[in-house]
Order: sequence, then structure tokens, then C-alpha cells
Amino acid sequence: MKQQVLTFILNGEEVAVLVTPTETLLDVLRERLQITGPKRGCDDGECGACTVLLDGEPVRSCLTLALTVEGRTVTTVEGLMVKGELDRLQKAFYERGAFQCGFCTPGMLMVAKSLLAKNPNPSRDEIRSYMAGNLCRCGSYEEIIEAIQAVAAGEY
Amino acid sequence: MREVLYYAPTELTEATAILADHRDKAAVLAGGTDLLPKLNYYEVKPHALLYIGRLGLSSIHNGSSALTIGATTTTADLATHHLVQQYAPALAQAARLSGSVAIQNAATIGGNIANASPAADLVVALLALDASVRLLSHSGQRDVHLADFFLGPHLTILQPDELITQIHVPLSPGKTEFLKLGRRKGQTLAVVSVAVRLQLDGDLCHDARIVLGSMAPTPLRCRTAEHLLRGQKITTDLIHQAATQAIAESSPITDQRATAWYRKKAGEALVQRALLQALDKKEVRP
Ligand SMILES: Cc1cc2nc3c(=O)[nH]c(=O)nc-3n(C[C@H](O)[C@H](O)[C@H](O)COP(=O)(O)OP(=O)(O)OC[C@H]3O[C@@H](n4cnc5c(N)ncnc54)[C@H](O)[C@@H]3O)c2cc1C
Ligand code: FES
Ligand code: FES
Repeated sequence: MKQQVLTFILNGEEVAVLVTPTETLLDVLRERLQITGPKRGCDDGECGACTVLLDGEPVRSCLTLALTVEGRTVTTVEGLMVKGELDRLQKAFYERGAFQCGFCTPGMLMVAKSLLAKNPNPSRDEIRSYMAGNLCRCGSYEEIIEAIQAVAAGEY
Repeated sequence: MREVLYYAPTELTEATAILADHRDKAAVLAGGTDLLPKLNYYEVKPHALLYIGRLGLSSIHNGSSALTIGATTTTADLATHHLVQQYAPALAQAARLSGSVAIQNAATIGGNIANASPAADLVVALLALDASVRLLSHSGQRDVHLADFFLGPHLTILQPDELITQIHVPLSPGKTEFLKLGRRKGQTLAVVSVAVRLQLDGDLCHDARIVLGSMAPTPLRCRTAEHLLRGQKITTDLIHQAATQAIAESSPITDQRATAWYRKKAGEALVQRALLQALDKKEVRP
């Protein structure tokens, strides 16, 4: 199929990549740009493992046609580290064991990042409701909520 | 593999010309939350994709008699916009309860309507508010009441060369409520949903709307139940009668979310609850 150039800002840097019209952002990130943080759990929007930030807001990269992000800003879990230093949420997830297999973690982190940007001090219910679209097969929900609360409380 | 063309026009005339060229071979793409799963799993194989997110159709305006909502306004915007909260609180509530954050940031009101799911949350609220849609094609435009728009599951009167450009929500007076029962609290499709609007004159009911989701091939206005309430003094008894009548008008199916039997039982309770809770709501005044 004919390819087109797609240009967008990925984790702070402009990238130009050849894509076909039916590829999703998830396809392009994983298969063309080797950005494998976003995971493909279902490819139909249900699981949240592919969640990235588009202009700062969480969206499903599996439901986002790649060409529609032309000129826009995409942040994946690879973009959370600043100068080799893990993000506070990454530290909290890591130290508090907020995962077992880790498959859901990149999506969880991006949604948590957006939550704390909007609401630096969320209640337990606010966390549960904001994170409701991200599933964890390993059932690490309690540790995930605690890690977010610990970051909000300034422990990291 | 066949070539698929991608268009992202910035002018409406361009968009309708592209649709006129491709007719039913083109797929309109808004937020993609309904279309992309079908594309990813090859359930639809369009020859062309027409992305409408760059047409400037994402806005909410307040006119003298109606809210005008652009077709690509997202569910996230509907949930938080002050005009929607003030004049169409049932729509804001339906938006808040639909999908999850990442879905709401992409999903659009036009997509919810055009997709025509029997479970479409925004549609259930919009029907209770007497909304209409503006349809545009290269040959003209028409306004259609939402109540006349749906023909069946994923079937509407929308022609292949037509786009939904705007949704008009009359500033209708009354007390409203939207309730949804799902298998879980977050990111879930409705087992049954209900939107009601009561226009009161003291303790007399001047007019009423009762709309059910996931209870018929399309979101359903229960007109006989509405009629029961009209001109009557609202009592708990009458509310129970109206709820029973609303369910009598429905024709739910058994699917992976619930049995038809359960939908009727739960639906009756949900209609009662919605009517009772609406009475305690602040009256919306245009
Ligand atoms: C995980 C998940 C959870 C969901 N939860 C809910 C929920 O709780 N409640 C609910 O109601 N829905 C839910 N949905 C369904 C979906 O998010 C909504 O129906 C949404 O509003 C669709 O809008 P969209 O912009 O994403 O549509 P798209 O996928 O872009 O389009 C849907 C259909 O409408 C057509 N279309 C779109 N816009 C127009 C237009 N302006 N004119 C003409 N045709 C048009 C498209 O061609 C396509 O056929 C969910 C979806 C997912 C993936
Ligand atoms: S892979 Fe995108 S939501 Fe599951
Ligand atoms: S840690 Fe395994 S899915 Fe969440």
C-alpha cells in the first residue's frame, strides 16, 4: 500500500516516518519506530495497555489512526524519564511493586501522569474512577492506587 | 493489498465533495473509538478514510433557543463544559458515565449518533432533550429530529454522502436525570440506561420524556409511558405505573451483558429511580 510521510513530536523530538493510511499510532510506534512501551493487549480499546498522551491527554494508540496525529505531540512511557532520572510515578511503581508482569504498567503510568497533572491530590475514589479504563490482568490494582497516592503525598 | 486513500480536509465543502465521489466506499472517521476496532479486525474495508477532525466542528454554542454542538465535540468536552452542565445536565451526566478517560478524549457526539448502537449513552440523553441533527451533503442540508433518525441497530437514515455537522439541543425546561446500569462501574456499556425529563407546573406534570437504552433495537422513547404522566399530578403510584408501562414498550434481547428478563426487571427499577431522582433535581431554565 502507498506510504505517506507522517510528522509529529514524539517524546519531545520531531519524527518523520513513512506510514500507510490504515496503520494505527500503536502500529507505527511499535513496528516502525521501535517504541515498544505502549503494549497491544486487545487492539480494540478495552484494555488500556496502549494508552499514550496526545497533546497531554490520554488516548488509546490502538484506536488512533496514525495519520491523524500529524503535527501533534505524543508522549509514551519512554518519554517519562528526564535526564536519565525516572519519573516519580515510575519510582513509586517500582519500589512499591505496583505490577507483576508489567504489561499494563506503561498505560497505567501515562493515565496516572495525566491524573496528577490535573488533580495533584486525588482521593482514592478519584484515582479508581480515572484509572477505570486500564485493566491489570495480574490484579495489582491496590498497589497501583497506593503508588499514585504516595506520589501525591510527596513521598517521591 | 488494495490502496486506501486518506483525506483530512479542513473545509466542509471539500469533505462533502470527497463523500460524494466515494459514496458508500468511504468511511467517515471522527474519534475512531467505534470505527478503529472494526478496521483493526478487518470487519470494514473502506476504499477511503475521511478524517473529519480538522473541520473545526468541535464547539459548543448557546443560541436563544438551543445549544448548538459541533459533531466532533468530544465526550470529555461534553462532560465538563459549563453550558452543557447548565442547560443539558443529563447529557453531561451521560458523557461522564460513558467509556473511560482515554475513550472520552477521542469519542465524539457525532460518532455516538452515527454509530447508532442501541446502548449509545449520549443518544439516550439527547432523545430526552428533543435534540435534532443537521446533515450536510454536497447537494444541501437538512435538519432531522433525532427521534426520526434511527432505523435499527447500526442503521440510520444517514445517506452515504451525508455528514452530521451539528447537534441542536433545545433549551427545554424541566427536571432531568440520566442513570446507567452496567456490569461494572467504569468503562462499561449499559445493560440498561434511562434518561427522563419532567416539565412541571406546580405538582402537575406538563410534559414528560422517558428514554431507554439497550432495551430495544434503537434507543427508545416510551411514548405511552410519557402520556401516562402528562397532565397528571405526580405521585409515587403514578411513577410506578409509568415505569411498568415503559418496560412494556421495550423489547430487550439477551446478550453477553445481560438476559432480557434481567433487563426488564432492572430497567423498571431504574426508570422509577430516575423519575424520583429527577423530582429532586434543580429545574433547568432556558
Ligand atoms: C472501550 C470502549 C468503551 C466504550 N464505552 C462506551 C459507553 O460507555 N457508552 C457509549 O455510548 N459508547 C461507548 N463506546 C463507543 C464509542 O466510544 C462511542 O460511540 C463514541 O461516541 C463514538 O464516537 P467516535 O467519534 O469515536 O466515532 P467513530 O469511530 O469515529 O465513528 C463511528 C461511526 O460513525 C460514523 N461517523 C462519525 N462521525 C460522523 C459524522 N459527523 N457524520 C457522519 N458519520 C459519522 C463513522 O463513519 C462510523 O461509522 C465505547 C467504545 C470503546 C472502544
Ligand atoms: S491495545 Fe489499545 S486498549 Fe487494548
Ligand atoms: S502487572 Fe500484569 S497486567 Fe498489570
